[in-house]
Amino acid sequence: MKRIIIADDSTTARMFIKRCLQIIGLGDAEIIEAEHGKEALAAAKEQCPDILLTDLNMPVMDGETLLKWVKASPKLCELPVIIITSAGNPAKEAQLLELGARQVINKPVSPPVMMNALKDFLED
Amino acid sequence: MIEHKPLFEAMKQAVSQTLENMAFVETMEHYDQSYELPAEDLVWTSMLIMDPVQGELHLAMSKALLVKLTTAIFALDIDEVTENHLHDSLDELLNTIGGLFMSNLLADNQTYQLGLPEFGEGELPPPEPNSVIWKLMTSDEDPLQVIATGAPLVALKD
Repeated sequence: MKRIIIADDSTTARMFIKRCLQIIGLGDAEIIEAEHGKEALAAAKEQCPDILLTDLNMPVMDGETLLKWVKASPKLCELPVIIITSAGNPAKEAQLLELGARQVINKPVSPPVMMNALKDFLED
Repeated sequence: MIEHKPLFEAMKQAVSQTLENMAFVETMEHYDQSYELPAEDLVWTSMLIMDPVQGELHLAMSKALLVKLTTAIFALDIDEVTENHLHDSLDELLNTIGGLFMSNLLADNQTYQLGLPEFGEGELPPPEPNSVIWKLMTSDEDPLQVIATGAPLVALKD
């Protein structure tokens, strides 16, 4: 069973992402929800997830800082990170990919977009 | 009469894409552009645009419409919807709309930064003189408004 962390300060966004995951066949995945980057980082260190889906714009610790911490951690640096954001454009996307993000998805997320972003992950 | 400049189109498209994708609701320009949302039963959320221009966006609608949208977003029955669901869904709608709006307006190599949405009820803050208002409605003719304030943000229409 896959273990997925979803980090977003919005309950609505987390629910919407979970619904997309169910639609693309990840309904039986174990979902760990976090309201900000710090919570997601702590969960990632404890729970060894298979993938981390995170928003950018969050209180306490934003998604970009979370990404930097994950990539700097010897324990977590191989963890695939997908950014799901309302503040994305090609320039920001290039910056985040440079920092080590696997994919950057713009909100509103949809099942086909999610499917495409997680294609490699689903094939594992 | 609505001016159909890039700023206007950028917002219309952002609202339409967001509501259709998240709540399965179509939106269009309101047929009566003199229509004002009544202050009673009004809910709204505000979000700062912090970079590269400064301004603020407000999304306002009746609580009845917000309940409708929230039941669709969360796939809940009306009696299962809580105040938290309502606040959070309105905030997330504006967050998504704001991102698409800025993305539609700015060049591909231009990054932008949004603030965190803040929920409010009752009368909207008084509009600034240079505000731009989008008077929209759903396919069920439920009205909603988006307001952009801040001279640098509104100047993007030029």
